[in-house]
Amino acid sequence: MHISLLTALALLVLTAIGFYIGRQRAYGAGRGRAASLHSLPNYYGYYIALWVGAPAFLLLAVYGVIGAGLVNMLVLKDLERAGAPLVAQYEAQLDQDQLYQDLQEQLVQSTAELEAVEREISYIRRENTVQAERYEDLRARLPEVSSQRISLINQIDAREEEIYLGVFQGAPVEGDGFTARAGFEFSHLPPERRQLYISNMRAYAFDEALASRDTPELRAAGALFRPYHQILRYSVAGLALALALAGLVFSRGKIAKRFRARNHVEKALSLLLFATSVIAVLTTLGIVCSLIFESLRFFGAIDWRLHEFLLGLHWSPQVGIRSDQIGQSGAFGAVPLFAGTALITVIAMAVAVPIGLMSAIYLSEYASPLMRSWAKPILEVLAGIPTVVYGFFALLTVGPFLRDVALMLGYENAATQSALSAGLVMGVMIIPFVSSLSDDVINAVPQTLRDGSYAMGATKSETVRAVVLPAALPGIVGAILLAVSRAVGETMIVVMAAGQGANLTINPLESVTTITVQIVALLTGDQEFDSAKTLSAFALGLVLFMLTLLLNIIALRVVQRYREKYD
Amino acid sequence: MTEFKRAPQISDAVARRLAQRHRAEIRFQVYGLSAIGVAILVLLILLGSIGYKAVSAFSAHTLTLNVVIDPDLADPRGDRSESSLRRGSYNRMMQTALETEFPGVTSRAHMRELFGLYTAVNAAGLLQKVVKSPDLIGETVTYEMPISDDVDLYLKGRSVEERFEDVEAPLSLIEHEDGVALSSPAPVFEGFLTLVREAYITRAEAAEARASAAFDRASLPGIDAQTAEAERANAQRELRTGELWRERVTRLNTEGLTLQPDGPRLLVRVNEGVVRVTRLSADGRSAEGEVVLPLENLAQARHWTRWILETPASAARLTDRQIVWTRALEERGFVKKRFNTWLFTRADSREPELAGVLGSAIGSVLTMMVTMLLAVPIGVGAAIYLEEFAPKNRWSDWVEVNINNLAAVPSIVFGLLGLALFINGFGLPRSAPLVGGMVLALMTLPTVIISSRAALKAVPLSIREAALGIGASRMQTVFHHVLPLAAPGILTGAIIGLAQAFGETAPLLMIGMVAFIADAPSLSLGGFLEPATVMPVQVYLWSSGVERAFEMRTAAAIMVLLGLMIILNAFAIYLRRRFERRW
Amino acid sequence: MRSQFICVDALNGDGKLVDDYTPTAKSGATYHPLTGNLPIKVATTGVDVFYADKQALFDVSLDIPDRSVTAFIGPSGCGKSTFLRCMNRMNDTIDTAKVTGSVRIDGEEVNDRSVDPVVLRARVGMVFQKPNPFPKSIYDNVAYGPRIHGLAENKEEHDAIVETALRKAGLWEEVADRLDLPGTALSGGQQQRLVIARAIAVNPEVILMDEPCSALDPIATARIEELIDELRENYCIIMVTHSMAQAARVSQSTAFFHLGRLVEYGPTEEIFTNPKDTRTQDYITGRFG
Repeated sequence: MHISLLTALALLVLTAIGFYIGRQRAYGAGRGRAASLHSLPNYYGYYIALWVGAPAFLLLAVYGVIGAGLVNMLVLKDLERAGAPLVAQYEAQLDQDQLYQDLQEQLVQSTAELEAVEREISYIRRENTVQAERYEDLRARLPEVSSQRISLINQIDAREEEIYLGVFQGAPVEGDGFTARAGFEFSHLPPERRQLYISNMRAYAFDEALASRDTPELRAAGALFRPYHQILRYSVAGLALALALAGLVFSRGKIAKRFRARNHVEKALSLLLFATSVIAVLTTLGIVCSLIFESLRFFGAIDWRLHEFLLGLHWSPQVGIRSDQIGQSGAFGAVPLFAGTALITVIAMAVAVPIGLMSAIYLSEYASPLMRSWAKPILEVLAGIPTVVYGFFALLTVGPFLRDVALMLGYENAATQSALSAGLVMGVMIIPFVSSLSDDVINAVPQTLRDGSYAMGATKSETVRAVVLPAALPGIVGAILLAVSRAVGETMIVVMAAGQGANLTINPLESVTTITVQIVALLTGDQEFDSAKTLSAFALGLVLFMLTLLLNIIALRVVQRYREKYD
Repeated sequence: MTEFKRAPQISDAVARRLAQRHRAEIRFQVYGLSAIGVAILVLLILLGSIGYKAVSAFSAHTLTLNVVIDPDLADPRGDRSESSLRRGSYNRMMQTALETEFPGVTSRAHMRELFGLYTAVNAAGLLQKVVKSPDLIGETVTYEMPISDDVDLYLKGRSVEERFEDVEAPLSLIEHEDGVALSSPAPVFEGFLTLVREAYITRAEAAEARASAAFDRASLPGIDAQTAEAERANAQRELRTGELWRERVTRLNTEGLTLQPDGPRLLVRVNEGVVRVTRLSADGRSAEGEVVLPLENLAQARHWTRWILETPASAARLTDRQIVWTRALEERGFVKKRFNTWLFTRADSREPELAGVLGSAIGSVLTMMVTMLLAVPIGVGAAIYLEEFAPKNRWSDWVEVNINNLAAVPSIVFGLLGLALFINGFGLPRSAPLVGGMVLALMTLPTVIISSRAALKAVPLSIREAALGIGASRMQTVFHHVLPLAAPGILTGAIIGLAQAFGETAPLLMIGMVAFIADAPSLSLGGFLEPATVMPVQVYLWSSGVERAFEMRTAAAIMVLLGLMIILNAFAIYLRRRFERRW
Repeated sequence: MRSQFICVDALNGDGKLVDDYTPTAKSGATYHPLTGNLPIKVATTGVDVFYADKQALFDVSLDIPDRSVTAFIGPSGCGKSTFLRCMNRMNDTIDTAKVTGSVRIDGEEVNDRSVDPVVLRARVGMVFQKPNPFPKSIYDNVAYGPRIHGLAENKEEHDAIVETALRKAGLWEEVADRLDLPGTALSGGQQQRLVIARAIAVNPEVILMDEPCSALDPIATARIEELIDELRENYCIIMVTHSMAQAARVSQSTAFFHLGRLVEYGPTEEIFTNPKDTRTQDYITGRFG
């Protein structure tokens, strides 16, 4: 960090010097008459400063992004090499261990048995053959077989651990012993714990206070970092300075009276502007790629049974027992989530559309300018309130109120968390969205249409109903679609107020769960990143993204076509 | 001629319909007005309910103790070094101070109750004091700290329904092994017995009603046998519950009442002391009790007070003794109500009375700094490129569509992107304001781009032509003329986008900014990589807290959050009003 | 159709411009056939302009004399403004516009890729239909051009340029004591003179005026016309106007455009008294337009 900062500082100074050199030379070339130059003298300064600063800072930035990763990679290679003899020793012992081999063999058999049972179950289910007894029997055996297998796996793990500890403790500690041990230890770690190990090693290399564990192995491994880090750091610093100087020499030579410095500087600036606009595109690309990539991993983890994900009626991802278990780990039928999302969206729309639309009509057709100037900002306040506040309101005010009302009316299973409370509050949140979009649309209806209707003796409300609304209908439909996409993607209100239970129900007083709730539930708290459970969140995210994208595209099309009609 | 004949008919029909049409007109207007009314009403209810909850969190009761800093306890090694002072048992000193207030408390269980009036975490504050000035050792320190949240709620009248009834009747006291016996010639406890009896009867009736409802459901036509059976079993169970309550009533009427923690409680304030009643006779004339606050004497009293706690102990999370001690401390001036400064000066804590929003506020500031530094320059740059430089072709159309769609992508998807790309891809730390800020920047980007483009578009073409006409380059035209003129609009849009990001929660949950952070992150460069949380997430975390006091603190945090958002938006509106230019 | 006045083809060698547009000596200039004693300042040959797929200007060839006022007249949408904008490449700012043909100023090709439009526009000033001062002070409005072109080294030189330009535009007397006032606070006529001052400040050789008086009242118009007449001494002025009376009052030569084509070009008196083309005649006698 220190040397990088110093380099950055040096580069800044060089850049400033470059600027002055550019200016001075420009004055020299123009013999003190700025008007005889192609560009203003400052542009010559900027030109040189660009050549001095940009490549070098770019190099530093690249180093900042990939530097640590590069060092990690090199160190891990070293560690692997150091630990290789111990790993070999460990594997040899595993091979020779009778108990371990026996267990492995049993596992193979048990796995085969489990697969056979599962195959038969799915065969019976698929073919719908009438073998009720056999089916029940198989269903009953399934947990037994699978728990037997799990206990085998646990035994194997225990035995592995035993042998591992034997090798580890038997390893020498003198010389590079600790490094070798560290390499061995690292190779034995499950993937999800390796990151922590690496950060601990780095802590011993750079700042001990950050370490969460203290072992001689970690200290030894930490020592591996420093040389690489040092070399890379100094060479990058040197290279950056060299680049800056080279840029200075190159660009200095170009300065002449007729040199179009401004054009070059502006070209660089417009490239920068272009790059900023690319970021927006890259964001979309990033979203699409990361969602698709992780979703593919998820579908791989559930053996490409896509139909089970999209059409399955049972959602309980938490049951996943072990990541290496074949076949089923948890149930990933997302229909209850889709149904819950739909139910809450429908309730929200039932609130937001009438209220939003009627307020928009009133505000644009009836209200006095004074009322407009008050009512519109108040409605917009509703849009500005953070969703977590709505969630709190739904959870602690609306939810209990609805439950009490339901209890009073004799419905006994009423809960605080229900689709109704989440939907109602979400509807309120969306009111301003519907009303401001509809307002725009209604205002875009040409006055001549209204005048035509009034001239025939229609009242205001008749004009609105018979002329304005039909004319604005496509735009209003677009607005509603946008509002639906908003409701589908809303997270905090449902997380706090709708509950977690994946009930497949249309009873609004029951608690339901939605796509967004499950994404939050799956990705908060402790997580191992490779399990199907965690990955399923990305598949849900993909569904959500596609759904909202589709709604938006349709809505934007509809609205745009509508605008064109009256432009 | 026919026209003349028909004309009156038409006008008649029109006239008949006219009233109807006018009524429809008025109805329509009423619908519109009431739609606006409903929206505004809901807003008021929302703000009102949160404000009502929040008010009580802005004040807090404090407990002041005169703590003697015992040299042996404070400085175990006796060398007055900081490390020695840090090992002192300051909680013990505070406990001693409280014990001296209530010398009568001896049993271990009661002491635990007594020390439950404050949180042991407060000892850390005392430690800081002593470490700062070691001269205090041996002195008596007046130490003020927040009182336990349950006691605080009680003192604010939010958790226990209580009633003081002054009685003018002779009450004689006889002390015995387990406590005191109270007796009076008049049925002075009759009222309390009635209260309990009615509560029992209400419960019995409720159970019986549930039973008969279940029976009704069991005999509904078309119900399947299994459900009917379950309902009948349900009904039987409820019936038994009802019987149990009736039995209790009978026992109360014949044998008297033994007070239960799930029912109302009775305390008697007599002769400057307090007796906690444990048993009442059926005639309501005599009672057994335990002395909580020592009585001055055992003389027969003429004036005394019945102190009825209607809320059961189990619901208030506060024992009778704690209530008595609290009131005693209040009378002695050790408990005071003051403005809750802890709410603004402390980070999160497991103890509601010590939990504050400062930590999350700093997290928000750090996160928003990252968001601002990324979203505004990139967004404005992209807007300038698209509006001023981009050739109108497929690519720029595509970028435009892309940005419009990005603006409507649910925020949680940006969280997924952040998790997959920044954390798992680039290996940036979880929970860090840097990552949070980056995610929010991507989310805000479309808003900034769209509003900036609108602002740039509003600058009239004539300005651009004028500049180009005297030989300014496109770049000079944009940066010397167009951008300065569009700046207020761009700023307004940027602030509105930032306000949106400031209130955003969901994407931050994805990247782990939901951690419990007891130390405020430092406002430095390193702070961007430390685990942190932001204000909306703090609201989310507290709203799932079990303690009722957290509910109020959540409301208070929301008020602070809304206050900050109002300031941001007001600033945006001010900018718009101040610098808006109509062409 | 070709215009009636086929011009002598342009002169100075290959028409290539160097990096930087430095005025070359005018010794080799050919004198204009219409005026005789005035050299040709702007020579155009076969200019076509397309907006997207629509052709707006057809094969216009025309020579414009220096130190005189040339007026372009014709009905709306006849392409006269488009043609005007070819001379300082303002059409570049419209994405869909495409210009072919040759426009030369002092024999140097304007449409050449190597010509920096920025430098070109410093030589060819432009005044627009609606006065469009920058929303800055009067001083900054005038000083902006010299500043970006580096025409002045210090404050004194700037002050001098601003004063000269404002004097030449006949505005100095009116605004000398309030140069800090925003340019937009002036009256319409004053604004237009400010814009002319702004154009003069960068020391152009040609000044293009696109209906400079159409947004002004008659008194302000008269003032501007006077100004144009004064400026004629030093500049080549090309103006588009809707008002035939104005063209007759201030211009020495007049070109009549119709439907994207140059119909007739000649000395102003001749065009107005003795038009050769029937369309010109119809237009000046008010049959259409």
